[in-house]
Amino acid sequence: MSPDPGEATTNGAGRQPVLSVRNLHTAVATPEGSFDVVRDVSFDIQPNEVLCLVGESGCGKTITALSIMRLLPTPPVRITSGEIVFDGTDLTELPERRVRDVRSERISMIFQDPLTSLDPVFTVGQVMTEVIRTHRDATKAEARDMSVEILRAVGLPAPEQRFDSYPHELSGGMRQRVMIATALVLDPEILIADEPTTALDVTVQAQILERLRSEQQDRNMSMLLITHDLAVVASIADRVAVMYAGEIVEEAPVDELFSNPRHPYTQGLLRALPHASRKRRELVPIPGLVPPMQMMPTGCRFAPRCPHALERCWSDQPPHEVEAGVGFRCFNPQPF
Amino acid sequence: MKRIAARTLYTLIVLLLSSIAVFYAIRLSGGDAVSARLPASASYEEREEFRELLGLNDPMHEQYFRYMGRLLTFDLGKSLTNNADIFDMLTHHGKNSLILGAAAFGLVFAIGVPLGILAAVRRNSWADGSVMTFSVAGMAVPNFWLALLTVWLFASTLGWLPSAGCCSFKQLILPAVVLAMEGIALTVRMTRSAMLENLGQDFVRTLRAGGLSESSIIGKHVLRNAMVPIISLAGLRIGQIVGYALVVETIFGWPGLGQVLVNAVLRRDYPVAQFFSLVLITIVVLSNWLADVGYTVANPRLRKT
Repeated sequence: MSPDPGEATTNGAGRQPVLSVRNLHTAVATPEGSFDVVRDVSFDIQPNEVLCLVGESGCGKTITALSIMRLLPTPPVRITSGEIVFDGTDLTELPERRVRDVRSERISMIFQDPLTSLDPVFTVGQVMTEVIRTHRDATKAEARDMSVEILRAVGLPAPEQRFDSYPHELSGGMRQRVMIATALVLDPEILIADEPTTALDVTVQAQILERLRSEQQDRNMSMLLITHDLAVVASIADRVAVMYAGEIVEEAPVDELFSNPRHPYTQGLLRALPHASRKRRELVPIPGLVPPMQMMPTGCRFAPRCPHALERCWSDQPPHEVEAGVGFRCFNPQPF
Repeated sequence: MKRIAARTLYTLIVLLLSSIAVFYAIRLSGGDAVSARLPASASYEEREEFRELLGLNDPMHEQYFRYMGRLLTFDLGKSLTNNADIFDMLTHHGKNSLILGAAAFGLVFAIGVPLGILAAVRRNSWADGSVMTFSVAGMAVPNFWLALLTVWLFASTLGWLPSAGCCSFKQLILPAVVLAMEGIALTVRMTRSAMLENLGQDFVRTLRAGGLSESSIIGKHVLRNAMVPIISLAGLRIGQIVGYALVVETIFGWPGLGQVLVNAVLRRDYPVAQFFSLVLITIVVLSNWLADVGYTVANPRLRKT
């Protein structure tokens, strides 16, 4: 029996996190210099919880996830400082060979576009078998049984036949189920899902999310789910971290975040969301654009777009402090 | 299957058209078979008589249909210059050409693919630079010149290898390398760019996330994806080798189909030139057809269409 996820998170402060990211900086080297695409990011993932990383395209969500998996395209992108502590070891200092043992076996990742993310010239079963046999001593027959079982568990129809299918023979939803099955077959402790439903039809999106949620609960697994879709957040998250321009600007349990957002960016995101209960209320866009990374403000990165910016917001960087699972990066929070 | 059937039909049409083209081209290219066969002192009457005998005074389309009729019943005829049986020439010289061509074809992939992989994996290193320089040189150098250069270096100067002749292994080395050079150069380039293209694909990241080793990702998954265009163009390499064989066989005195064809054309030996042109054209066309089949086999996405 898995514990109530809500309880696990709000009172999570005293528990040992499965993954702890501390002051992570990830930079991209360009001809004009090196720029932080992820700046001073810290968060914990507790056992059995779903942490959602939310933000618009290019805010550093994916780079954060790839940093954890050590899958950054290096060069030009690399971790410049910070720690990613998993099971007592700092993943940023692990040699490549040891990182490979962690991948899939202990931390798995699934990606946004299931069409391009699967190897087109190998069958589903060939790749799954190879992943299993890379990490475990299993015969081909055992690997096949494991694969078919997990393919069935994630809701793929006719898994015995699909085992021998090529990716192009499957629909988008089926491909994503294959990717999920491959990621879960070794029973990892953490699943990182990078926009897993963005490329799918709306009806399939709901099925995939539901499947991810039930697998997460059945396996007592933690999940880091990356999305730009607040509806996804509302349906699946235990806790939410909002990212803006490479920084986490607010972090809170999901109910708290939706009912009582502190940071003006979070508030802006929620006002920009259509909501059934607010009758015909107009959508309010956030004015302005994310500054390009060469022109990041020296103070708060949101200041140029913030309706409540103070003098010091332009000069000083607001610190990010988390208390009882709630934190935000703002000098001048306003009631929502 | 539909795709393969369509390509097969197309192949047959190309063969028919080229048989017409070859037939007319060799008759319109000036000179005539009679002067090759009869001594220079032969009288006008003797020449006319001989022309009548060979049917060379009939309208060309009649000659064409007559020739094709015989060809389809496997009546290949005899050489006008030395009365040799054309079928015997085909088996004898064909075997020599097959040895040379197969050696060159093997070299194209045995050298081209590994060098291309090396260049892709060590991109922008000195190894990549050297391989790419070699590749550019291999494409730029005309093979007749490369043939002369290698003969000068390895045969005349160093004395390691014979300069010409057939058919020992040592005699095979120089012509095979020269014949393969441009194919190697092209295969290196194609392998490198296909490897790099596939290394940048999303699925590589997924495989890395699965914890697979780099050697499996590069040597198995990326390579297999990269081989799709290389296999599909392997047929074209055959065509290229056949074309260059005319020059290379002549220079190295390798008694293959190319050498026979060159001599036959020079002597206006119509039946031999026609037949061997058609043989070479058939090989080229069939290898292109094979390329299509190969593409379908190498690429699972095309198998069931």
